[in-house]
Amino acid sequence: MAPPRTRPLRPLAILPILVLAAACTTAPAATPLETDAATPAASTSVRPDPTDSQYPVTVTDDAGRELTLDAAPERIVSLAPSNTEIVCALGACDRLVGVTDFDDYPAEVAEIDAVVIAATVDVELVVDAEPDLVLAAGNELTPTPVIEQLDELGLPVLVLYPETLEEVYADITTVGELLGADPEADAIVTDMQDRVDAVVAAMDGAERPATLYEVFYAEGSTYTAGEGSFLAAMLELAGAEPVTGDAQGLIATEDLVAADPELILLGTASYDAGLADPDAALTAVAARPGWADLAAVRDGAVVPDLDDILTTRPGPRIVEGLEALARAIHPDRFD
Amino acid sequence: MRATTTLARPLALGPTLGRTSLVLGIGVVLVVAVGLAAIVVGTSGVSALDAARIVVHRLTGLGAVTWPQSAETIVWELRLPRVVAGMVVGAGLACAGTVFQAVLRNPMADPYVIGTAAGASLGAVAALLLPVGVIGWAGLGLVQALAFVGGLAAVTVVYSVARSNGSTPVVTLLLAGYAVSSLLAAGVALLMFVSGDRLAAVVSWLLGSLAGASWPRVGIALPLIVASFVLVLLRWRVLNAFLLGERAAAHLGVDVEREKRILTALAALATSAGVAVSGTIGFVGLVVPHLLRLAWGPDHRLLLPASMLYGAALLAAADVGARLAGGIPVGVVMAFLGAPFLLWLLRRAALDRSP
Repeated sequence: MAPPRTRPLRPLAILPILVLAAACTTAPAATPLETDAATPAASTSVRPDPTDSQYPVTVTDDAGRELTLDAAPERIVSLAPSNTEIVCALGACDRLVGVTDFDDYPAEVAEIDAVVIAATVDVELVVDAEPDLVLAAGNELTPTPVIEQLDELGLPVLVLYPETLEEVYADITTVGELLGADPEADAIVTDMQDRVDAVVAAMDGAERPATLYEVFYAEGSTYTAGEGSFLAAMLELAGAEPVTGDAQGLIATEDLVAADPELILLGTASYDAGLADPDAALTAVAARPGWADLAAVRDGAVVPDLDDILTTRPGPRIVEGLEALARAIHPDRFD
Repeated sequence: MRATTTLARPLALGPTLGRTSLVLGIGVVLVVAVGLAAIVVGTSGVSALDAARIVVHRLTGLGAVTWPQSAETIVWELRLPRVVAGMVVGAGLACAGTVFQAVLRNPMADPYVIGTAAGASLGAVAALLLPVGVIGWAGLGLVQALAFVGGLAAVTVVYSVARSNGSTPVVTLLLAGYAVSSLLAAGVALLMFVSGDRLAAVVSWLLGSLAGASWPRVGIALPLIVASFVLVLLRWRVLNAFLLGERAAAHLGVDVEREKRILTALAALATSAGVAVSGTIGFVGLVVPHLLRLAWGPDHRLLLPASMLYGAALLAAADVGARLAGGIPVGVVMAFLGAPFLLWLLRRAALDRSP
């Protein structure tokens, strides 16, 4: 059993998870934007980069915008924890000059100045960091007006918003190209694919329990994986039949009772330490109006303490999230 | 309305030159002081001295460049458009409030109380939620246009509902304003409910923030607000005549209904131009003209320009406060300042009525 953790309720911190858990099929319209990073910051640190010859590099981001860099970026600002993880996984953590105050992995990013504070991008701090690459998030995690503002200021902005595992691979590859770290990107993607394949193979032929992944619960409102969302797809890969909510992931209690989940997984985002204990979690869930008669509650199939960060943050560790889901859903098949 | 009829001296004589210079002079000093404070206050490490140097350099070309390009961007492209946007919006809302208070002869009238702002919000949110392709340059104009249509329609409905037998009872007007605002707010909430992944954009807009200010946005709002100010100021005689009551105004040769329509439209224009830049920010239009009228009388030759100056300074100052407080929305700051003031106003009025 995991040791109880103290985790104060942080509504703002939950917001991105809610957004990520939601299905968002409307891709922003393509607005091609040619941004020449013609003036890389007057950085004095000379970093001999054997791959310099491949520049300029042009890539297309998840908003359909083109970005061209004339040289390897040396000062990167990340506006989302998943972007930070991608950069660091590519071995470029030391090139980050701005991150969010919610960034927690790898540990060394705690030393980097935050330019996103309480889920709000401080544009002044972004400019002050003199970035030659800004990695924004899509789906309003980085608000559209902020992206427009950064564009107007002439900063090279790449919008990353992967909605599937394939898009996570693609984004890692894209950032790898921009950073001149193609081999590292290939290695990460290959490793992720292998591990995903292992999970899928382990689930072959398994029964697929109707599973509610609870992202957030408050006052009778339950948020779970949105229909068609990344999280729903993850649950399917991990051998479950996800009980989904609407586009925002909200599911009415009546619909939940009708769906009658056989397994309930509780995310960590909104829970106090007491719910990390399975018995306490079961008691608490059973006390909610209408929940006591759910098959999962009757059978005691309530698994607490699923790390939302792993299961919903679309970076290299998403595969760890998938493995955690597989272990929780089919402990007999995947361990 | 004791407050609106307490005259420092007979209205016909107009404000004295000395009083006018004093009031407007203080206003200009406040605007400049707030402007200076706003460009040296920020989250990044640009020093006050550098900030001042950068502004001087950009304006006059004087002084050697000793700062990094990023400092210039921060001061010239982020802080300055933000403070100018705050001033433009504050001036526009104060101008609109002054007009509404005169036309409706009611110190409680402001763009928020009588529905203009709610209508403008609904229009703007609708524009925000239109397919992403039209957002951007054309989209910004669209936000303003729909905000204007919504604001004008709302105040028209409120006014025509409240009007009976050639007069507009205050209580009916406020209730109508409340009802229409509630309906429009429900419309906004409904749009938010269906907004999906645009929700965050709508929410941050509704909270009222100047964080997204940029020169292009200022460039759209500024001419609209200046134009409505000039056109309103040209009608100062009409506004002063309205203070005497509609019948008296008609006797003075004012085409009451026509002027009322024109002035309402101009005030709605100023409101929507501001609201489209900043989102919803209340109380500026209520507090500023009311206080100035109490202090210096209701003559619109002085009241209008003074309201704009003090409104500009107040909103820009509130935004500095908002930034210092860690980037909370300026609309929140204004509400914290404005709501207690409104309560004080109500309490005062109640005490005045008691024997």
